[in-house]
This record gives sequence, C-alpha cells and structure tokens, in this order.
Amino acid sequence: MTVINITVPFGLIKRIDDYSKIINVILEQKVSANILKFHTGRSGINLLLDIPEDKINSITEALKKNKVIINKKGRVIVDIELCIDCGACVSVCPTDALHMDEKGLLEYSLEKCLGCGLCLDSCPRQAIEET
Amino acid sequence: MTKTYAEINEKIKNGSAVVLTAEEMIGFVKEHGIKVAAEEVDVVTTGTFGPMCSSGAFLNFGHSDPPIKFEHLWLNDVHAYHGNAAVDCYIGCTRMADIRPFEYGGGHVIEDLVSGKPIRLRGISNTTDCYPLAEVDTEFTINDINQAILCNPRNGYQRYVCAVNSTDKTLYTYMGKLLPNFGNAHYAGSGCLNPLSNDPDYETIGIGTRIFLGGGIGYVIGEGTQHNPKSRFGTLFLKGDLKQMSPEYIRGVSYEKYGTSLFVGVGIPIPILNEGLAKKTAISDDELLTDVVDYGIPRRDRPKLREISYKELKSGYINLNDKKVKCSPLSSLYHAKKIAETLKNWILDGDFFLNPPAETLPNDTTFKPMKLVSELKFVKDLKRAAEICYEDCDIKVVAEKIVRKNINHIVITDRENTLKGIVTSFDITKAIAEDKHDLNDIVTKRVFTTTDNEPISNAARKMKINNISALPVIDDEKKVLGILTSEELM
Repeated sequence: MTVINITVPFGLIKRIDDYSKIINVILEQKVSANILKFHTGRSGINLLLDIPEDKINSITEALKKNKVIINKKGRVIVDIELCIDCGACVSVCPTDALHMDEKGLLEYSLEKCLGCGLCLDSCPRQAIEET
Repeated sequence: MTKTYAEINEKIKNGSAVVLTAEEMIGFVKEHGIKVAAEEVDVVTTGTFGPMCSSGAFLNFGHSDPPIKFEHLWLNDVHAYHGNAAVDCYIGCTRMADIRPFEYGGGHVIEDLVSGKPIRLRGISNTTDCYPLAEVDTEFTINDINQAILCNPRNGYQRYVCAVNSTDKTLYTYMGKLLPNFGNAHYAGSGCLNPLSNDPDYETIGIGTRIFLGGGIGYVIGEGTQHNPKSRFGTLFLKGDLKQMSPEYIRGVSYEKYGTSLFVGVGIPIPILNEGLAKKTAISDDELLTDVVDYGIPRRDRPKLREISYKELKSGYINLNDKKVKCSPLSSLYHAKKIAETLKNWILDGDFFLNPPAETLPNDTTFKPMKLVSELKFVKDLKRAAEICYEDCDIKVVAEKIVRKNINHIVITDRENTLKGIVTSFDITKAIAEDKHDLNDIVTKRVFTTTDNEPISNAARKMKINNISALPVIDDEKKVLGILTSEELM
C-alpha cells in the first residue's frame, strides 16, 4: 500500500454533490482505499489515502483530471530541544520524512513531508508542531 | 579463568581495567573468542533509555512553622501520595495534573525538579495538636528540599514485546500510536545493550549493585514488581539521588490519550568474572527474541502473532503476514548507547567501582494475574434478542415495532440475518421532522458492534466513548446474534 495526500480545493466544491463526485472518481477504480486522515485545511479538504501500489497511477491520473491536487508539499516543525530521539514518530510517518540517522538521532526531510500530520499526536514530548 | 570483584576494582584503581560496551563486546568475542575475552575484558557496560511507568520519587520538604502534616498535597497541580510522616511524599510519574491531564504529570514534575525549575507546592491538612497548620502554598526547587530520591519499583525490563494493532481504528496506548490494520509496529528496550539481557541469570545484578541512574549513581534495591524470570521478563527495583541526576536522562513524557510517564536512563556494569559471563555479555540482537503482540485485543492475554529478534526490530521493518510493516522503537537507542559509553568512561577514569550484590535476584518467582472475586461478565451473558426489520421495509413498520415493543433500537438486516444497520427512536423522530419516508435515508449503516465473547466492560467503554446506547452483537460473518443496550448495563 502507498500513501497519497490529496487536496480538493474549496473552489471545486460548490455543493456537497461536487465532493461526492470526486470521491466517486476513487470508488470507480474499484480499490480498497483506506482513509488515514480527513480534515479541512486552509485551501481545501485534505484526505490522506492508503491505496494499493498498482493503482497509484490510474487513481492520480483520474484525480488530476478532476483538478484535485496530489501530494501537496507540507511541513511540520520538530523542536530538537524537546525531542529525545525515541522514534515513536518514525513508524507512523507514511513517507519516511521522519527517520533515524545512523547514530540513532531523529532526522526530518522536508522534501519528503506531505504535511499529513499523522506524527503530531504520536510524539510523547509534544515536540512536533504543524506550521 | 576467573576474576574477583576486588581484582577488577584494583585494575580500575590503577587505570588498567579493560572496559567495553555490550555492543563492543560482541565484536571482541567474535574476533578473539570467549576464553580470551574472559581473560582480557574486566567490565561490560549496558544501557537503556525508555519510558518506565513504574517510576517516582520520595521527597522531604522539611517542616514549616507552625508545622503541618499533609493530608493532600500537589506539586505543580499533580497530586502526590501522602501516607507517610508529616512532610514526606511520593510523586508517581503516571499521576496526571488535575488541570492539564494528558499534558503534564508526575514525570514532568520529576524532570522539572532535576532541571532545577521552581515547583509549586500546595498542601492541606486536617490539623492536629502537634501539626496545627491547615494549609501551605509555596514554591521550592530541588536545592531547597532535604531529600529527592528516585525510587522506581519496576524498571529495566529484560525485554519487552513488540506491539501492533489488528483493528480498523488507530489505538493510543502506552506502546504509542498504533495505526489500524497492522499499519506500524512499536517495540521497547535496547536489545543487546539491555542490562538484564546481558546478565540473564542474575549472577552479578542484585541487591546493592551500583549503577548509572538518570546521569547519577544509583542502586538496584531488589527485584522489580512483576519480576518474571521464568519467562525472561526480569525487572529491577531501583533507587538513586535525584540531586545528582541530569535532565538529559530523566524526561517526562505524555502519550496521547494514554497519559504521562517518565523516560529513565539506566546503565549497569557487568563484571566479567568468568567465561560464562563473557559469553552472555556477547549476546547479539539476532539472538535476543521477543513476541509481536496484537494490542487490538484488549485482554490480559493478548494474542502473540510471531516470535521476532531485536535485529529485525532494529532494521526498521518487520515481516507480518508476508507484509512489510514499519517498525520503530519507543526507547532511544542513541541515548542507550551514550549511557553505556558514559558508564564505561566513568570506570576507565577510576570514578566508578563495582560491588558484589548483597543478595542476587530471585530466578524462580512467577507473575500472577489479579485475583478477581466477581466473575468476569461477557456480552453473551447480558445480551438480549434484537428486534429486527429488513432493510427494504417501510419506516412505518419500524416505528410501529418501536412503539409495540417499547424499545429504542431496531436492528436492520437482510433476509440472511446479516447486519445492515441500526435505527433508533430518535432517527424516526428526525425522519418525521425532516419529512423523510425512505428507511434508507435514516438508517445508520456504519454500526459499532460487539461480539459474544467481549467483556462487558469493554463493550460499555465502546458505547461511552462513541456516545451511543446500543451495540448489535454479531458473529464472524456479521450475522446478528442479539443486542446489548445501555439498559442491560444499568
């Protein structure tokens, strides 16, 4: 399974049916998509989906055709003063943006981050914040 | 070839002791063999830095004037235990603050103490002839109080399980955030660096063993609670002076929807007295095994899914049902290594000596479950027959049934008795208010359910946290077996 982050811009949603139309784009692909997270962001509705690898291309193509934004870059801020390098956030990160370096220190790669926020409530030191 | 504690300490004194960390020992034994290792290596140091919920501290504040005997007291709004003499208390790390629970707790108080931050002390008393003061509201730092003794009844598990989640919901546990459908895995402990893993038969670690604790010197004061040597789940009872400790190795933590705890840094030196200990301290991650356990089953005996080595756990991924599952530790391996290194340097610098235990830890005790006098009740004991309507029936039929049977919930099924949804009397009222006539428009299709063998308390919690008043009881094939409503639980 692969995780993608889709954003349905507010501009596309005039009525609730418009949203259903976009969800149907995914349903028409006949895959079991697991919604990991659903929230209303600043620019639209964000969905974090877990979908089978072999369907990634067809789903992203279909969604792009409907002007849905795929894998918009995001970011979190890790407070290294608070972080104790325990690793509790690493396993919940769907893209390896949060990972351990060779020494066992937490490393954050901005370019891999989708800003999905799954890590926010995994940190026992409350060291990760949304921007 | 055997050595004594005195011989090792003599070498430490004259600076000729050979000290290796438990990680370095693996390579040394591989290269030179056990015999040479037993001759040449004097001490092997271990380390672990992880959440240890069974931690806390005894504090003594000295006496106020006029004196007070606390009945209740709070440190930064965290209730401390007072059941000792007038101004003694025990602050436990999992006790959460009255006003910011799940954010701040006893663990944070202990970290703040070690950091030298001021702590607010509030206490009340029933007053006596000898302790007339009724109330205290003051501030102190660790330097203002007489004793601050970290005293942890259960630390340093020999090994711990790896946690995963089979359910379709995210679980928030003391093993961290567990993603649904085996979405991730968490483990604890530092594997080959773990103190008790390097002395699995408790030959050198016992009562009185001097150790690294939280950056200062501490002692093993006995076997820990739930010490379970037969299953290789030994534990340690530790104490040490908080005033010597460093906030780098004593950290308060808070796990989402679980609560607070304390990260404790523990390092124990193992004297290489004989070849047996040389061999045992050379144990590597691939030889240290534990179980992958499903935390989705909220019972005492959670299902074990497979056996796994710390080598696989540390690789970042584990194999589960032929699926690669992302795996990370809850303990910091970086700090575990740093603790073993620090302890090694203390010994090399001649600042830390080893001592034989006054008594070794028991290796034959067992870990008993709680004795419950009332029998555990299951859903099957309390469920009743569900009132059922088919999914294609008229709203009116459902409404009539609710009135006739004087109930609030109608379970909706297909002709094969498969659960399709649930309708409540409120849904019917709403349908009338909104002028809806199709059952399909008002039925709740995503239904929270229970099973015959779920303990009643678990089913009740499910109702409470989801704010619902009934759970259809179903079998593996989603066939309806009955219903459990809040009325049965009264």
